[in-house]
Amino acid sequence: MASDDHHIPNGSTTTPPDIQFEFAHHDPAIARINNGSFGSCPSSVISAQQDWQLKWLQQPDDFYFNTLKPSILKARLIIRDLINADHVEEISIVDNATTAAAIVLQHVTWSFLSSQFQPGDAAIILHYAYGAVKKSLQAYVARAGGQIIEVKLPFPVNSDEEIIQEFRKALELGRMNGRKIRLALIDHITSMPSVVIPVKELVKMCREEDVDQIFVDGAHSIGCVDIDVKDIGADYYTSNLHKWFFCPPAVAFLYCKKSDILNQLHHPVVSHEYGNGLAIESSWIGTRDYSAQLVVPEVMDFVNRFDGGIDGIKKRNHEKVVEMAIMLAKAWGTHLGVPPHMCSSMAMVGLPACLGIFSHSDGLKLRAYLRDCFKVEVPIYHREPEKGEDSPITGYARISHQVYNTVEDYYKFRDAVNKLVNDGVTCAFLSD
Amino acid sequence: MEDPQANGDHNHNHIPKKLKLSSPSSFISDSEIRQEFAHHQLGIARINNGSFGSCPASIIAAQKRWQLRFLQQPDDFFFNHLQNGILRSRTLITSLINADHVDEVSIVDNATTAAAIVLQHVGWAFAEGRFQKGDAVVMLHCAFQAVKKSIEAYVTRAGGSVIVVQLPFPIHSDQEIIAEFRKGLAMGKAHGRKVRLAIIDHITSMPCVVIPVRELVQICREEGVEQVFVDAAHAIGSVHVDVKEIGADFYVSNLHKWFFCPPSVAFLYCRKSPIALDLHHPVVSHEYGNGLAIESAWIGTRDYSSQLVVPDVLDFVNRFEGGIAGIRKRNHDAVVRMGELLARAWGTHLGSPPEMCPSMAMVGLPSSLRISSDDDALKLRTHLRDHFEVEVPIYYQALKDGEIGGDNWDGRVAGYARISHQVYNTVDDYLKLRDAINQLVKDGVTCSDLP
Repeated sequence: MASDDHHIPNGSTTTPPDIQFEFAHHDPAIARINNGSFGSCPSSVISAQQDWQLKWLQQPDDFYFNTLKPSILKARLIIRDLINADHVEEISIVDNATTAAAIVLQHVTWSFLSSQFQPGDAAIILHYAYGAVKKSLQAYVARAGGQIIEVKLPFPVNSDEEIIQEFRKALELGRMNGRKIRLALIDHITSMPSVVIPVKELVKMCREEDVDQIFVDGAHSIGCVDIDVKDIGADYYTSNLHKWFFCPPAVAFLYCKKSDILNQLHHPVVSHEYGNGLAIESSWIGTRDYSAQLVVPEVMDFVNRFDGGIDGIKKRNHEKVVEMAIMLAKAWGTHLGVPPHMCSSMAMVGLPACLGIFSHSDGLKLRAYLRDCFKVEVPIYHREPEKGEDSPITGYARISHQVYNTVEDYYKFRDAVNKLVNDGVTCAFLSD
Repeated sequence: MEDPQANGDHNHNHIPKKLKLSSPSSFISDSEIRQEFAHHQLGIARINNGSFGSCPASIIAAQKRWQLRFLQQPDDFFFNHLQNGILRSRTLITSLINADHVDEVSIVDNATTAAAIVLQHVGWAFAEGRFQKGDAVVMLHCAFQAVKKSIEAYVTRAGGSVIVVQLPFPIHSDQEIIAEFRKGLAMGKAHGRKVRLAIIDHITSMPCVVIPVRELVQICREEGVEQVFVDAAHAIGSVHVDVKEIGADFYVSNLHKWFFCPPSVAFLYCRKSPIALDLHHPVVSHEYGNGLAIESAWIGTRDYSSQLVVPDVLDFVNRFEGGIAGIRKRNHDAVVRMGELLARAWGTHLGSPPEMCPSMAMVGLPSSLRISSDDDALKLRTHLRDHFEVEVPIYYQALKDGEIGGDNWDGRVAGYARISHQVYNTVDDYLKLRDAINQLVKDGVTCSDLP
């Protein structure tokens, strides 16, 4: 939904944001090409958040009784429209996707414990699912008797079809011996390595194969790729607004399609609102700072000052990150791990093999070294080579592009890696 | 300076009221205190520190510095600073509460979260057969509503039963509480029911009373209660806390209520035991399995800054004469004085004796107000806020068994105001409340008149 660039509804004009000013608090010495991990927040939103925090401190009782609930409702209504949900009751605001996972998975636990599910019933996830989500599956599903099936996806990957094939195979395996698949947990954009997954097709397949429920972990999605929850068709969808949607830490939405099950979902931190519906339960989980949840309107104002609003931002970020990834791959003689159409506002760029990235901890060491010695912040992914591969690329940098990035950030990274290569540095030489 | 409310021990010396001399230059002055709380809304008599606490300006500034560090370079913050900062806070709390080991201290958002942690563990014990259907959890009838709901969500739902111990109010002595608790627990255990967990408040919320927890924990042990969880949401900064002396298995308190931290931060103490190893934060991150304290230190991307200012808060309280112990004592003395002033002015009484008041007191409201339900109490609170600029929570005391009710209102105190005193309060705050109530009485207002 492209907005009218420089006019706000009441007819007065507004200027595009001064990016330098809005992100002046970012450490100027750092080439910050990791928006994907912790996101970013412009000064005008931070300032709005501080106004909310002050309101609470000024008179918390009045704020609690008169202001908090309507303000959270306002944020939920905006999110409902952003993602094309039908009803605001379907939108709960929680801290982050990690919390959303705990909510959905705790419900699975109760289903096992009440014998609605049988021991051995399965949950299916991507091998590249986020670490916290995998642990949550251990804590809530495996512990309750469920089986976890991981779908190994190829990386590097070349097309949606490769992913769809692997997923289909895993579904078939999952249903062998009459086993029931109770939950499919699918990333919209995997974290490491970062790939845009064809969720709509996978959801459709899950429905055809009689999977009970589908939960899309779209932690990165909002502000990064298009989200239309009705079109995607999952039962649950979560995304963090503090990653690509300019909110301060931390705020996420959990969309739960209206159904009988919606009434059975609970926030694990139980307050006096228990039983009043997930959205209401989530809006009060004891005394806390809820200000990050309240600035969604101010964030809409911010993104609407950009040409094309959030859609324009998404498009430009994507184009830029692909352009930069190709530039880096050329400079290093490597390749992209994922074709442009499967990149979001992030891309996976192969690192020169001579750096010797042979393990996850090598990746961490290299990341720390780049931070400390070259002032470049970028996460490094280690990939296990296939048997028989000749001089394979085993390390990839996940570069991000957000509105505050400039080409200099990526040149700095390019030059840092070139220097390491020229100096013959390998991960084996880096200290822990 | 030993705190008179230490764990139910109420033999305290009468120390003379502070003389009106200017404080030594090393202590915080009255005008500095006013500055620290200048962000509090002007014109409001804010006598409800108990509900949402308060945070001085210098701590808010310290918190903002931490928030900025994250925003400046979040990766560096995450990898190099966050865990150390949380460990530092945990270490300080460990000494504050006299725990043995920092491993026993986890930092969580609030007591509500702590309750979910302990009760989810109980839920698993039922699910995995360590507890049998019908095994019981004990709670006080005036337990905090969130805790009651958490018991419903994790215990009742998993097949456990609940023993509710009724405590009297108004109350006159620790002995009454001890006797009632012993009776209630024995009754609940009838028919050989196994009691797996007792949840006891250190300071009940509504009505607000300091409970003799050490004695009650002792009774629990004698009666074969397996584990004891003390919900001390109000305790730290309000009464003396010594977790070893109290002897519970789990103990939680909010630092944002009476310990000047910003919202929100609480500690959950778990005495070292095999069971403590099996506690988990319900929001599962990659730290799952590394122990509750480490799990709680990372539950996904969030603002952890309120957990990081504990060192700054210690600096703040040590600017006061006697540090936190001095603050506690002066708050207690002042709230009792103000409570008695109000009771005299209204012809009512305090709901508990001074030695059972922390930094809060329950003051009877005139019966002519005809507070006859929880709804009435809320209406009165709203009316006081909107029309008199007084913020104070009101408690409705239901009829005791055998009491004549109905239209017999003469002299029956059915409502109490829970007044708080924190360092920013002045006598005028309480005079404002006094006058507001007197005005309502004079005008013949009853709760049924209120919107």
